Amino acid sequence: MQGDDGGTLVADAPGIDHEFKVGYITRVEGEGSLSLRVRDGAVVEARLRIFEAPRYFERLVVGRTGDEVVDIVARICGICPIAYQMTAVHAFEDLYGIEIDPSVRALRRLLYCGEYIQSHALHVYLLHAPDYLGYPSALAMAVDHRAVVEQGLALKRTGNQLIAALGGRPVHPISVRVGGFSKAPRRSDLDGVRAALDAAVEQSLATVRLVATWDPPALEHPQPLVALRHEAEYPYNDGRIVSTDGLDLAPGAWREAFEEHHLEGSNALHARTHDGRVYLLGPTARIALAADRLHPLAAEALEATGLRDAIRTNIHRSIVARAVELLHACAEARDIIDGYRPPSEPKVAFTPRAGVAAWSTEAPRGLLHHRYEVDEQGHVTHAQIVPPTSQNQGAIEADLAAFAPAVLGLPHAEATHQLEMLIRAYDPCISCATHFLDLRIQDERSGKGT
Amino acid sequence: MTHLAPPSVRLLICGNADRGDDGAALSAIATLLPALPSALLERLEVRRCGHLRVEDLLDVRPGQVAVVVDAAVGIPPGHVVTLPIWQIVADPNAPAPRSSHELPIDQVLGLARELRPGGLPDGTFVGIGGRRFGYGRPLSRSVRLNMTNFQDAIAAELSLLTHISSEGPAASG
Repeated sequence: MQGDDGGTLVADAPGIDHEFKVGYITRVEGEGSLSLRVRDGAVVEARLRIFEAPRYFERLVVGRTGDEVVDIVARICGICPIAYQMTAVHAFEDLYGIEIDPSVRALRRLLYCGEYIQSHALHVYLLHAPDYLGYPSALAMAVDHRAVVEQGLALKRTGNQLIAALGGRPVHPISVRVGGFSKAPRRSDLDGVRAALDAAVEQSLATVRLVATWDPPALEHPQPLVALRHEAEYPYNDGRIVSTDGLDLAPGAWREAFEEHHLEGSNALHARTHDGRVYLLGPTARIALAADRLHPLAAEALEATGLRDAIRTNIHRSIVARAVELLHACAEARDIIDGYRPPSEPKVAFTPRAGVAAWSTEAPRGLLHHRYEVDEQGHVTHAQIVPPTSQNQGAIEADLAAFAPAVLGLPHAEATHQLEMLIRAYDPCISCATHFLDLRIQDERSGKGT
Repeated sequence: MTHLAPPSVRLLICGNADRGDDGAALSAIATLLPALPSALLERLEVRRCGHLRVEDLLDVRPGQVAVVVDAAVGIPPGHVVTLPIWQIVADPNAPAPRSSHELPIDQVLGLARELRPGGLPDGTFVGIGGRRFGYGRPLSRSVRLNMTNFQDAIAAELSLLTHISSEGPAASG
């Protein structure tokens, strides 16, 4: 693949001029920090540190059955639990040779639509929009842009409503089972959310138009992109792993092209290609690699922005990609409900067997890979879970290195804002918290700091 | 035909049962609610919300109050706190609900204050300090030993807000 070398960007750098440190990155999910070392105006090290404590989920699922794994891995994230459930359930079904009912498959896409709607609405409106409108938080923004925040909350509510209708509750849904669902909804169970989706389609179309008018910081830094691509659908639950460099793998074959590394200073493993290169996942990659699979309404909206190429080269434009996907999810959810016929049985029986259960799906933040080694009784003996944010760490650092020279001459607060804004463009889901910012700039020659 | 008055209290139960003391509110409510008299239960709209979201507060009706029950940050493990919701916004050092995931709690409450007609709903936070929140952990000893105090505080607040005694024949069994 073409692109930046893997590993944290570090150069042999005696006599460091400046060191930028962002102690706590704000408006991201979880706890991380940023440090930049600068020499003679050039970035010699950019490091995103993830210091949130290890959570050991890969060990927690050992000894568990597929259905237990599906419920456990949902707890990894309160924003994207469905992505974890979907990846696990498809992995086990692929190993066990389970053919699910087409209606069940449609329900799973519908559930994924719900997650995309609530996750993307949260990020676009409450986490990322304040950067573009010049506010430190969604609360401060709401004073002057009440309608914007209300629109975001309305969309988020629709996504949560959809998840609750299918999964029993809006956070950590409980209905997904290997072979189907524990219970399939009646068509009438979806009437409420169907009505809300009409409004959501209009709201998300307005979102695309709105964010396309926001001017991002300048950045021209194309990176290798990786996403699923399906023969007929916009990628959620399945498809082949493809890249801008010609990669084409089955969804369970992630390890044929990628591997994880532990780097000092981060409790999240970094992922690289086998030859050590970084790559970018998420809305940017999906739009670049699968825009022709978007719902017609979303495809038309993307075209109208005129920003498809800009999305590819400037990560700040990911907010446009995310808004287009928001519209896609709303429109597809509406279509699925309109065509929904409850399955004759919500769940099919299966017989476990030993082997490797591996699959990838597209979480809102990018490709999510699971791999489970399973014994004859269907119990997991080893697990590997590769979240999109850990895969994106290298791309974030490469983008920071490319972007930082443009902000080094700015006032301290503005430089801080711009660097954090770039990280937020990735919508990193470090885990479950948001903190305030502590930035220090250290000039190691003069000893002065701010 | 009997017309029931709309519930006057929205009871927001926060937390996850499988994350140690994060499940304190769920544990307290599981045994408290069945013991409450039906007259009081009829005044409650019970919503299990996982983590507290802006949306849970925005549609609290005029005249309705909110009671947020959750593990608390800012107090020692096992301690029980009851304080008005507005105080959490007004005082950054006040104890606060722990189960705010998407946004910090001051943002959640602040957005509700800004966007809800009538501002932040009247209401109360009843919390208990937790010790451990890891996935798969049981309630800590600090929380278990003080669970009765926590339940008493919740019942007292519900009784105060509904003007109905929490004592009396239980609604079930």
